[in-house]
Amino acid sequence: MLGGVKRDTGSLAALGPADEADLIARCRADERGAHDEFYHRFRRSIAGNLYRVLGDRTDLDDLVQEVFVIAFRGLEKFRGDARLSTWLYRICVNVALGRIRTRKRRPPPIGVTDLDSAAVDPSLVDRPEQPDRALERHQDQARVYRALETLAPKKRIVLYLHEIEGLDLKEIAYLVDSNPVTVRTRLFYARREFYRLIAGDDAAPVPTDDKDDKDDKDGAS
Amino acid sequence: MSRHIKPHRWADAFAGKLDDSERAAMELHAETCASCARSRDRVGRASDSFGAIRTQAAPELPWDSVRARVHWSVSKEKRSQSQPPRLRVPVLAWAALAAMAAGALGVATNRPVVVVEDAVVEMRPPVARPSSHQTSPRPDVIVPPPAALAALVVRTAGATSSGDVMIDGVRPTNLFARRLGAGTVIATGEGRIDLQFGDASAFALGPSSTLELRRFDAQMIELVVNGTIDLEVAPRLAGQRFVVVAGEHTVEVRGTRFRVSRESAATTIECRHGMVAVRDRSAQVDVGTARRVKLAPGVAVSADLVVPLSVAELASLAETDPVRVPLWNLDTLTTGSAPLEIATVGRRDVRVDGIELGSAPMLVRVMPGRHTVEAADSAGRFRRAGWVDVAAPAPDGKPARVEVPAEPPKTAGIAERRRQLRAGIDQARLSRCTRSIAKAGLTGTYVEVELVVDASGAVGFLNVIDTDLPAATASCVREVLADVPFGAGVPATWREKLDL
Repeated sequence: MLGGVKRDTGSLAALGPADEADLIARCRADERGAHDEFYHRFRRSIAGNLYRVLGDRTDLDDLVQEVFVIAFRGLEKFRGDARLSTWLYRICVNVALGRIRTRKRRPPPIGVTDLDSAAVDPSLVDRPEQPDRALERHQDQARVYRALETLAPKKRIVLYLHEIEGLDLKEIAYLVDSNPVTVRTRLFYARREFYRLIAGDDAAPVPTDDKDDKDDKDGAS
Repeated sequence: MSRHIKPHRWADAFAGKLDDSERAAMELHAETCASCARSRDRVGRASDSFGAIRTQAAPELPWDSVRARVHWSVSKEKRSQSQPPRLRVPVLAWAALAAMAAGALGVATNRPVVVVEDAVVEMRPPVARPSSHQTSPRPDVIVPPPAALAALVVRTAGATSSGDVMIDGVRPTNLFARRLGAGTVIATGEGRIDLQFGDASAFALGPSSTLELRRFDAQMIELVVNGTIDLEVAPRLAGQRFVVVAGEHTVEVRGTRFRVSRESAATTIECRHGMVAVRDRSAQVDVGTARRVKLAPGVAVSADLVVPLSVAELASLAETDPVRVPLWNLDTLTTGSAPLEIATVGRRDVRVDGIELGSAPMLVRVMPGRHTVEAADSAGRFRRAGWVDVAAPAPDGKPARVEVPAEPPKTAGIAERRRQLRAGIDQARLSRCTRSIAKAGLTGTYVEVELVVDASGAVGFLNVIDTDLPAATASCVREVLADVPFGAGVPATWREKLDL
């Protein structure tokens, strides 16, 4: 049983196991107040998760709606193997994955990455950021999301969860409904591809070493 | 180290996954290799930005709108589950059935029949009148379908003036221009919506509720509600039916004002005026004026469950009456009336042209022309907020708008004026005023007054708002209070209740 992902997936979503069970039971009983409480408790963490995974807020409200509809529909079958927040995070990941796949088929409008630097929680910033530093940070983030965009959806999700969210293989395996060995392999190739893109960016490609590649593949398998 | 360093190795180094010696060797190599140094810098900056991405806060979204859409989607699924499954017959099968029926009809009546997709159109012969000696066929009886009804939105109110209303799953751009007929599903977020469908017939759907107009014609009105609905229904004619379905219970109406509230814990029917019949599969009970019946799931309807409403509950029900416009005419109202947006800071009771409309912000349907808007202050007095000219419906659907200015904060001087009043009352005179009633054993009386004191300390007006004293005694007490000396200070208006 997964006790929950290491990182807090939503500070407002913190619920004790008893409260969580009570909320689920009331939602299953179709109590409107419970549905409202569920929504208000988790809406920001869900929106935040989707926003960070995707890197832009296009149709974000639609995706949040989709997550909640899936959650309300699936609460009957929720067995409690994981914490409610983890289960919701899993739904977020799957919805985001679907979104990425759709976007791959349908190129997004110009300005895919619009992670707003002003959206950073002011309490997390010790002192006001210099404009040039803010711009630089914004560009760095945009570069990261641009590189993520080029990865295959499954690789992208795994890489995001590991490198950015800091989750371990077991947690990622639960979230993407896979097994840790597969996740490890996927992560290996995703990291190599991603950092190669980051390092090379739009400049000349970085020379590779065939022998190292082979060693890594052996290690990954 | 002579080979180039792979970029993901730099990521490992920044993540602390490599030992010091390996890291040092990589740094040494980067000092002599511009490509690797550049790679290191770029990977380093990307790794740094991970932290910033991780702490990105959720952007603000139209939360109420999303909530309403979720609510609508989930409740729609439940509705479809609760309805009996429809027999799905392919279109071709329908066409075949229609053709067979049409053929049979043609044979029976000896008239040519044309089948148009799934509809049968009978072609009458040019001369179809039978001669007098022939057996006359049974005359065709054409029963016209009952006239379809349509409802118009009269008011939306709630956290936002639009009330976060969804019609058939979408938020319409021009809600007030729409005619809502059979099959429409209305869902509310945190607000409420009032709809009118006749001279004296209207209903108001409460917050977080859904309503389906399952049948909506002159013969039969069937509303399926989940949540709260307040109805005012004009007396039905013979043959007309009006039912409200709330889960397993059905409420049959003749002409009345009542409320149906369906929650998961219970379904409650409160009748303010008239009478409604509440029934389930097993029984039926009448709920009359000022009565309520509360039915838990699985509990059979019984007359024992009908209880009277308290005065406070009746007063509360009266406040939720749906808003109606006079002189109902669907066409005129659709083309000739327009929404007026009344924007307030917080919730304020408002009046338009002297008619109380409840709590704003709201959008309300009005006829074109100049309208005066008043808003209630904290003491419950309506003060003029302004006037607004409303034109005929604009093509872009943008409503006329009036903004009610925020109520000025209460002056800090009220407490001081109140203290001056209490200290300045001539107790001896006051006792003389109440001596006669005290002798009669009438004690524990009170008087509530409203005062206005200006900056110079002069009493602007002093009105007795409420008292249980005889008129003469109340007048005497008022004179005592009017003679209280107030010094110069802050102007204040307040109400004071004095126990005598």
